[in-house]
Amino acid sequence: MKFGKFIKRAVIEVVIARNSHQGEVADNKLSEKFREESAVIYLHPNFAKKMGFREGDVVVLERNERKVNVRVRYSETSPEEGGMMPNSIFSNYLTDNLKGFTASISPAGGELSRVEDIIKKI
Amino acid sequence: MVFCTGCSCLCPDIRIENGRVYNACRKGSSIFNEKKRAKPTVNGKETDIETAIERAAEILSSGNVAIYGLDTIPIEAQKLAIGLAEELEAYIDDNSSFCLGDFVEMILRGEIPSTTLDDVKNNAYVIFYWGTDPYNSLSRHLSLYTYYPRGGKRQRGYEEDRFLVVADIRKSHTAKLAKKNARFIRVDDDLKLVESFIQAMEGKAPQYPDVARVLSEMKKGYSVIFGGLGLKYGLNGRYEEFTEMFRRLNEITEVYFIPSGFHSNMRGFNELLFEKTGYINRYSFKEGVSKAEFEFSRLLIEEKIDSALIIGSDPVNSLPFEVSRKLGEINTVVVDPLNSLTSMIADVVIPSALTPIGQGGTMMRSDGVRVKVEPLREEEWTDVKVLTSLKEMV
Amino acid sequence: MPITPMEVYKLLPKTNCRKCGETTCMSFAFKLINREKTLEECTPLFEDTKYSSQLKDLQNLLEPLKEATETGLIVDEDLCSGCANCVVVCPVHASDDPYGMGSGLGPTIDDPILRIEDGVVRVVNMKKCRRYGKNRILCVACRENCPSDAIRFLEG
Repeated sequence: MKFGKFIKRAVIEVVIARNSHQGEVADNKLSEKFREESAVIYLHPNFAKKMGFREGDVVVLERNERKVNVRVRYSETSPEEGGMMPNSIFSNYLTDNLKGFTASISPAGGELSRVEDIIKKI
Repeated sequence: MVFCTGCSCLCPDIRIENGRVYNACRKGSSIFNEKKRAKPTVNGKETDIETAIERAAEILSSGNVAIYGLDTIPIEAQKLAIGLAEELEAYIDDNSSFCLGDFVEMILRGEIPSTTLDDVKNNAYVIFYWGTDPYNSLSRHLSLYTYYPRGGKRQRGYEEDRFLVVADIRKSHTAKLAKKNARFIRVDDDLKLVESFIQAMEGKAPQYPDVARVLSEMKKGYSVIFGGLGLKYGLNGRYEEFTEMFRRLNEITEVYFIPSGFHSNMRGFNELLFEKTGYINRYSFKEGVSKAEFEFSRLLIEEKIDSALIIGSDPVNSLPFEVSRKLGEINTVVVDPLNSLTSMIADVVIPSALTPIGQGGTMMRSDGVRVKVEPLREEEWTDVKVLTSLKEMV
Repeated sequence: MPITPMEVYKLLPKTNCRKCGETTCMSFAFKLINREKTLEECTPLFEDTKYSSQLKDLQNLLEPLKEATETGLIVDEDLCSGCANCVVVCPVHASDDPYGMGSGLGPTIDDPILRIEDGVVRVVNMKKCRRYGKNRILCVACRENCPSDAIRFLEG
């Protein structure tokens, strides 16, 4: 039984951590690769399944009325009850320090957020 | 052979042949790829580099200025940037103020004993990563310098001659390597882990039980703790207990500390500024002192500056959005070889050369060892030349 | 995921008919994984239509054998970060190149088993691997020290 699929909105702790694959593509931050490697939340598979998020789902992270659409990826290196994001404009749009933040996570339709859309708000 | 400047490991053994990069890690090898380079612009319009530098000089010649970034450019260019800050009576700061600067400062002040990565390779038995995941941030750290290589007194390989400890809030990639003859400690409170070492030394049961075993391994000789951002945030400025732990550990055995740092030449900047002013970062040449409120982020949030010169860093990507928003309100000059997100909001963009592609220079590894980086080819507009021209014009 | 002999055995006819030259289907399963036998040598599988769905499953199961090297090593470059743990821990590298790979540096010999190219691990010369040839041993040092599962072995 997937009880998790009934959860529409949860509040989670997100830590910010370095990621080798994201570091590799940081030389072109307007590239699709950078967006795919940065607009991402790594969830521990057990935790993600409990909440009903599948690998590849687009979810919206929201904190203090700021929203970012990111893709769910499974990783056993994530905290067991929380998420992990690489340091980039997407995590920084939500956080006010470089350690991490608390945000709500819920299913989102549509696409990942774009770097350009965040820059426009500056 | 060429040095890689992808991170503070500064790997010395990179070969480039027939367009292929050998020995560099995933992140490092990307340094050597052909890239789209930045063009000189003023207010978003393309211009020649001399005009861009002229306009930059105008911007920086009035009002309160901050110079920020600096952690990826060579020491020779950092020296010029510090000189420029002095001339402008400006603030100067780098990533270390929110990164691992506190640890570098403790080492430079002699508050914690440190060593070199070469010594670690030849001597170290306990290799202890605390709040850091070098597999992702410094990918070759374990294989080139610490756990896996054979060297000096450590010829029998990691299974016999090294003991790995990883302390983290999550089971990181690096933590997954702590198997046989190793310990992974899941930490929810770093200060409690510090206290555990003191408790174990006093013969009490430590709050983190694994510490008893780790301490008994440390007593076998040369040990190194590599501390990262997780440790810095975990300690939250309470360093007395941490330095006390080192003092007491070194009464009974030999334990060193090396920051598990990130940017290729952060420590170079910290040491240069320290030599000149006695402080490692967030310094005001006007007031002749370093203060927490001179941190670049706070200068912006508290609206203390009118313009900023950003070199070798991309704060719009790497700092919280509130800081970027404030940056958008002031005059910004960006010196960068590549199109960064900060250059998208900058008033002036001045392209420079990329180390080690079009410029060389001296860089400092995370352990304070200087290396002389030779460029693959010479480009005209190096960081040194850009900063020299700027300095002449302001 | 590694393929186990038991998984293969379950899909074989389990008649111990010896047509493949082995005394039991179980030993045939072992040799299939080690690539000392090919599936085609089990003729009943192909001749008798009652095995056709088992045959299909077996072909799917053994598909990764094609991408594996002679020692059963499979490298997934997409997962690799280029940390070079595998290059440095390899006992053959340590003895053949003590001051290069054995000391943590890039290879100073021309024919290493593995090396890092364009940021990821590549297989260069599998013949040197201790898992290859007659006196092979099932060394797993490279896989054990890869934290991102970029290195796998067929037999597990």
